[in-house]
Amino acid sequence: MPWKPILRQLWLPALVFAVLLVATAGSTSFYFPPLTDVLATLWRELLHGGLVSDLWFSLRNILLGLALATVVGTGAGLAIGEVRTLRLATGPLLDFARATPTVGFVPVIILTLGIGSGPKIFLIFLGSVWPILLNTISGVRAIGPAVYETSRGYRIPWPLRLRRVILPGALPQILAGIRVALSIAVVLMVVSEIYGSPVGLGNFILQSGSSFHVAETWAGTILIGIVGYGLSVLLLLVEHRLLGWYHERAPRVRSPRPVRAAPSEIEESNGVVV
Amino acid sequence: MAKVRLLQLGALVVVLVLWAAIAAMGVVSSTALPGPRAVAGAFGGLFGSEAFWQAVGETLRGAVTGLLCAIAVGIPLGLLTGVYTAAEESSRLLMEILRSFPVIALLPVFLLVLGSTPGMKATVVFIACVFPVLLQAQYGARSVCQAVHETVRGYRIPRLLRLRRVVLPAAAPSIMTGLRLAATTSVLVAIGVEVLTTLPGIGHMIMESQQAGASARAYAYIFTAGGIGYTITLLAQFAEHRLLRWRPPAHQDEE
Repeated sequence: MPWKPILRQLWLPALVFAVLLVATAGSTSFYFPPLTDVLATLWRELLHGGLVSDLWFSLRNILLGLALATVVGTGAGLAIGEVRTLRLATGPLLDFARATPTVGFVPVIILTLGIGSGPKIFLIFLGSVWPILLNTISGVRAIGPAVYETSRGYRIPWPLRLRRVILPGALPQILAGIRVALSIAVVLMVVSEIYGSPVGLGNFILQSGSSFHVAETWAGTILIGIVGYGLSVLLLLVEHRLLGWYHERAPRVRSPRPVRAAPSEIEESNGVVV
Repeated sequence: MAKVRLLQLGALVVVLVLWAAIAAMGVVSSTALPGPRAVAGAFGGLFGSEAFWQAVGETLRGAVTGLLCAIAVGIPLGLLTGVYTAAEESSRLLMEILRSFPVIALLPVFLLVLGSTPGMKATVVFIACVFPVLLQAQYGARSVCQAVHETVRGYRIPRLLRLRRVVLPAAAPSIMTGLRLAATTSVLVAIGVEVLTTLPGIGHMIMESQQAGASARAYAYIFTAGGIGYTITLLAQFAEHRLLRWRPPAHQDEE
């Protein structure tokens, strides 16, 4: 019976969609055009307007920034997580860096480095590197001491240990970090493009909003939502692919208490950080 | 403990020296990255000025208003959906979609509909904060273990009593986490809104300073924002510690 749970999860979103559709159907309100109009506008802009190039620009910035943040964050996180002195020394600094809002850097970076795509990628990197870094550190620390001692006791050389023990052990947390970073990346994409950009989705909604093309504004906003959700679903698929072993074995190997959603994991994944 | 503090101080000094070296070498222009001395100087000027405290006040007002609304809405809704499995299942997909939505992208729409007002700022903060609070409350309410559930049902404990004495305490640790996340988020979102609009506040001052070429002042404002976020985290950790003393520690930290 795989249909029943799907139906149970689907009826409310479907209902909300239907209610919105009906409620705005004959809408003459300037600010809330009929949903059908908005969707038609979205379709038209994607097919004939320049929205595809905006979408491409935004997507590329997100992916490049996020890739850079993943490489740097994981690398530094593995090092800091492994070396106790480094971890103790950098703790407060990292907390402070995480608490500092990257949106504050948007005017500084864009006004000095220009409105091209480089500064935006840098901003996205700057914002999304912290959750990945911090989660990698806690992932390395969460590896069971028995595993750790064993790999040490057998004198497994460190490159091998890094590749076969530490990296897989920390992978669930690293991916949780990337998931948080993704939502930050989307937000920074939008902010940096609203602040100053000739192209991009953020620029699209700003331009159409300030010239009172309300249907276009809503269409762009919805598209950004789709991009955000689509990317997170994509990441979830990758996660299932990479972590099949973890989810499958989790209940048997670990303690009988429900530990599947580790507190630190859920704690980091509020997808709304700016 | 003292050794750890020394280490942390050392790390801070290393970062400051590196920063000063990069700024002095002129790899990046001084408007993009002013030296630490210039920023410290800017801080000195700011603390005496009235505009600084006004900006901090404006940002905090928007953040706190939105946050309080988010708490008032998020905790009851989260507990309810957490207790009733049917409610949780039906709302799961909707929640997933809504919370992955970048709230700041609503800004152009809000600017159209609500205009550039402090109320708009609080609304954006509210939307951004309600989801962490709600989801953590829901997660906490679901963490009540099966045996307790059965017992409550067996003794036919009335619904309200059950919510107050069983579900709420069980969810409290998780709710505290949600509050901490939401509190930091609220300040960040408020600043994000200010950067993009003409509303007064820290974000606006960053933009204004940078446009006036006073990048040291802009950095001082950014660090002020970081300091506020850091303070909130510390306060929340302290509160968590005090309020949840009855709970066995989840994991022992070294040190």
